[in-house]
Amino acid sequence: MRKRKRKAAIVGIGEVPTGRFPETEAIQFAVQSAKRAILDAGIDKDEIDCIMPTAAMFSGVYTNEMATGRMVEELGLKNVKINCNIWSGGSSSSNSLKLACAMLEQGEVNNVLMVQAEKLATGMPSGQAGIDLFAFAGQSAEWEVPFGQNFSSLTALATMRYQYETGTTDEQMAAVCVSNRKWAELNPHAFFRKPLTIEEIMASKMLARPLRAKMSNMLFDGGAALIVTSAERAPDVVAKPVYILGEGGRSTHFVFSQEPDMTRFGFAEAGRQAYAQAGLTAKDMDVAEIYDSYPIYQIIGFEALGFCARGEAGEMFLRGDTWPGGKIPCTTDGGMLSKGHIGAGGSYSLLVESVRQLRGTAGERQVPGARFAIETGTGGTYVDAHVTILGSEIP
Amino acid sequence: MQIPEKPDPLVNNWARPFWDGTREEKLLIQKCADCEKNIFYPRMACPYCFSDNLEWVEASGKGTIYAFTVVESNAASPFVPDMPFVIAVVILEEGVRMLTNIVDCDVDALHCDQAVEVTFRKKNEKFTLPMFRPARDSR
Repeated sequence: MRKRKRKAAIVGIGEVPTGRFPETEAIQFAVQSAKRAILDAGIDKDEIDCIMPTAAMFSGVYTNEMATGRMVEELGLKNVKINCNIWSGGSSSSNSLKLACAMLEQGEVNNVLMVQAEKLATGMPSGQAGIDLFAFAGQSAEWEVPFGQNFSSLTALATMRYQYETGTTDEQMAAVCVSNRKWAELNPHAFFRKPLTIEEIMASKMLARPLRAKMSNMLFDGGAALIVTSAERAPDVVAKPVYILGEGGRSTHFVFSQEPDMTRFGFAEAGRQAYAQAGLTAKDMDVAEIYDSYPIYQIIGFEALGFCARGEAGEMFLRGDTWPGGKIPCTTDGGMLSKGHIGAGGSYSLLVESVRQLRGTAGERQVPGARFAIETGTGGTYVDAHVTILGSEIP
Repeated sequence: MQIPEKPDPLVNNWARPFWDGTREEKLLIQKCADCEKNIFYPRMACPYCFSDNLEWVEASGKGTIYAFTVVESNAASPFVPDMPFVIAVVILEEGVRMLTNIVDCDVDALHCDQAVEVTFRKKNEKFTLPMFRPARDSR
């Protein structure tokens, strides 16, 4: 694996708070986020020549409209060459960014707008109807649905096997939620901002052993956008571009039960690719923006990317190494467990947060002097592992 | 409230022999006649060597639990009356993995790597699902 020569950079970010907004349309989240990102980059809107919207789960109508150019018209863009939906569930932002970088590095386009919005809280059925809808979404209709598989149970399977192999305790798993909540308390865009304790988590309803209700994400509304440009151009656009230094990816299954290793997935391989491209290692990272949705995926990502030995992550999350002020701050936006799950927006949010941290604009959450960040994304039933390394400088 | 029926498997046409097999209480998997690898779930072509030369063979029905969970709440409506019930990934002796339910067991005594054996549960006239129970010598 060679070090990457030509690079791209994020020069604009925009985000709306995560929450329940029954009166707001998803297209408003998308347009508002895009507008904020364009203003943040300080570019003329007509400099955007490529849009990559992300599909939404709540509405086929919204998704089709985004695919057929609604953003072009809403934003009044005159010079768009490519408008194309990118959809791979929670890894949509990772795949969009990879494609954006490749096109920018080739000179095919100059300014890419990536945009995502969802209405998972107020645009979809709630209660048992919501459970029913999500229980069968993303699961194999021939090989898994007939046995009652759902997102909680498949996550419980991975958690059970991981705890069996590593000896990690329920309390150590729950500590991921506590760590993410510490960050969410400091994030005005997060939904859950009250302190959370291990005891509260362990007292919450058992969903599927060993997974409890407060170890699960909750679904919300929200959106985000990014402006990506070439590394050559970036310093002329903004004072603090955030460079994409390395990227990696690995798809490991389609049907969840066919995953060869539910305690690892493809994160180690994706990380190797990304570190090699960046010419950096875990020791160089100042902040680890690891995709959660449930504690197990954050623990696996954290370990696979080299922040500790296998089986040691739980104790690090418990003793505060990943908390504000800790030695390796992790998932500093609060993650889907505390900021809230807005579908493909989970990893979008982590990219936005990485940019804030590397610009030094993360407010109370700022990791002092952060220069390099690592971010992960994964889609569907954790079918793929994606890793992005970002930096405020090119090493 | 009326409980909706559990969904039938949405069958891919090349997988029909598997479901025909379970109705006769046989657990059939594919085997590649060229590279000799065992295959589950059923494929159109061998995922190892791309051969179309696939055969059906009867599996022993013995395996071990790779991972399991006891679903206690928030199941989809058709499965709510079954709670608590066990979902597991079983690795068959033949090396292939399948999602299933563990039945006829003490849910508190289950553990990963436990030996299990197949048992067939008739769902309706069309479908019989392969489930597993703790193997006789591990019960």
